[in-house]
Amino acid sequence: MTLRVGLILLIQTLALTAMVAMKQWTLNTGTPILLETQPVDPRSLFRGDYVRLNYTINTIKLDEVGGEDVFRRYERVYVVLKPGGRYWEPVSVHQSWPTVESGVVIIKGEVGSTIDAAGEPQTRSRKQRLNVRYGVEDYFVPEGAGRELEVRRDGKHIDLRIAVDRYGNAGIKAVLVDGEERYIETLF
Amino acid sequence: MNPQRFLNHLRKELPDWVGRGWVTPISAEAILQHVGARPVGTHFLASALAVLGVLLFGSGIITYFAANWDAMPKLAKLAVLLSTLWFSHGVGGYLLREDRYPRLAQALLLLGVILFGANVMLIAQIYHIQSHYPNGILLWALGGLLTAYLMPSQPAMVAALALAILWTGMESFGFERIHGAFLVVWLACLPRIFQHSWRAAAHVACIGLLLWLFFVFLNLENYSEWGKDKGLFSMQLYFLSCCILFLIGLLMDTAARFAPFAGIVQRYPVIAGLLSFYTLTSPRLQSGQYWVGDEAVRATANTTWMIATLTALAAVVLLAAWHRRRAGGAARPAYLHWGQALIAGIAALILVNLFVGGIYGGLVALAFNLLFFAGVIWLIVAGERRSDRFLVNSGFIFFALALLSRYVDTFWTLLNRSFFFMAGGAILILGGFFLEKQRRRLTGEILARRRNQGGREV
Repeated sequence: MTLRVGLILLIQTLALTAMVAMKQWTLNTGTPILLETQPVDPRSLFRGDYVRLNYTINTIKLDEVGGEDVFRRYERVYVVLKPGGRYWEPVSVHQSWPTVESGVVIIKGEVGSTIDAAGEPQTRSRKQRLNVRYGVEDYFVPEGAGRELEVRRDGKHIDLRIAVDRYGNAGIKAVLVDGEERYIETLF
Repeated sequence: MNPQRFLNHLRKELPDWVGRGWVTPISAEAILQHVGARPVGTHFLASALAVLGVLLFGSGIITYFAANWDAMPKLAKLAVLLSTLWFSHGVGGYLLREDRYPRLAQALLLLGVILFGANVMLIAQIYHIQSHYPNGILLWALGGLLTAYLMPSQPAMVAALALAILWTGMESFGFERIHGAFLVVWLACLPRIFQHSWRAAAHVACIGLLLWLFFVFLNLENYSEWGKDKGLFSMQLYFLSCCILFLIGLLMDTAARFAPFAGIVQRYPVIAGLLSFYTLTSPRLQSGQYWVGDEAVRATANTTWMIATLTALAAVVLLAAWHRRRAGGAARPAYLHWGQALIAGIAALILVNLFVGGIYGGLVALAFNLLFFAGVIWLIVAGERRSDRFLVNSGFIFFALALLSRYVDTFWTLLNRSFFFMAGGAILILGGFFLEKQRRRLTGEILARRRNQGGREV
């Protein structure tokens, strides 16, 4: 019985530790990139004590980037990003891991929705816009601090520093308010 | 039965049995002494209080740390999360090993499962982990399954199954897909359930499988190869799936090893099957009028639907034949023959329905209604013959439901609204009184028969 209880505790603790370790590995070894956030409807910005972040790269216009043409809802996609002026920008979007040159990063995402230029759901058009989630859209903040991060409400600018590891997994490294690091993620 | 109630029951019955010469006075006294010597505790109350205590304690922990979360450094948060998990599993395991307070031990193991889930969620929050969100529930379910297998623990198994159902619900509705992975987890639960004869877990497993099947058929509309009129044909397929499960339940009855679970495996497919068959009686569904204003024209089934339906029908026929072979004989009661004829009629109608198109949906609906009412009456008769109150009650409920639905379908547009409601009220009062009277009479007879036979409920 002692062995069995020990085995349960070992496996469950390892599973929980693995969650932390994988995220920390992404943050430590990933390429840091700066992403721009877009204004969102303030009514839906906060839910509980987390901030819902809307990045510019969450919406990809297929006629402005390379890669494949046809995507389905909930499909896994790989978006190639390259450094732009200040922020990293999408170059192409693919259904499988693409071969790329150095100086770019590949971030893994999931298609949330596909809509055409008129706002109608569509799946086979180069004018299609993809809404892609990368797993860095929610940021938990201390109670009451969320409102401070409300994008551009009082003229402040919110940027996110994201780490993208070699497998395309992303994690939030820091939240920047007017270019100054406000929240920095650490292991402990 | 509660031991105290069983003892009281024996005290009442034994003098009569002695009087009839079935039991000698000495034997009666010995039986009373034997049963009376069993530990008569407040088992149910102790279990209920232990589980309630665990739930309250778990909620309290979560609420306390949620309120003070911001003030704690990450390391302290992790220490709190892991130590509570280790404590509950450790103490639960210790109590089980010492064979002391088994119910408290099981309650603590359940608390451990709850805390493992809380840990998954809170660590995801602390480290902003937002991968595919149903995966968190899957991890939680697997943690519960691990506890259920290793300890072993039925409450942990029930929790794992409930979480697996939640997981497949999230995958099915949140991502609009047929979620086959659920079956892997579900199948992994079965050996332990059978090995330990865990009835509560078996109930949840049955409900889970039927819900998963329902999610599968709902999500077929997201796959273009299934063509038009998906609601109608997927409901037919769901009904046949329920028939298959019910027949598996009947077959389990013929094998001593699986017989203890046969009643559970039969019961839930009966409810789900009745619900799906009731849905098939809808004239709107059969006519292709899914929305108000839709034209009453429907398409025939495409090849995919035909192959799927024919495969399911073949499975029903084969299982029914297998059951007949295993349970057949001269003593086979007449109501089973009628039941087979009824199932054959329904199967034929489902088959014909694949080829019906155009404006004939109304006629098919009429045929489905006739078979539904025949089926419900058969169910009541079968329940009465088998002394199964559940079947009798289900039969009466669905009879009343179908009657009310057809009244609304038929008279909503024909009658003046005030007459519609007045007539409906009168039918409800008189029909309800009649049906309830019949239901009580039949279930009363079953109870009396069972008392006389000293039998137990299936």
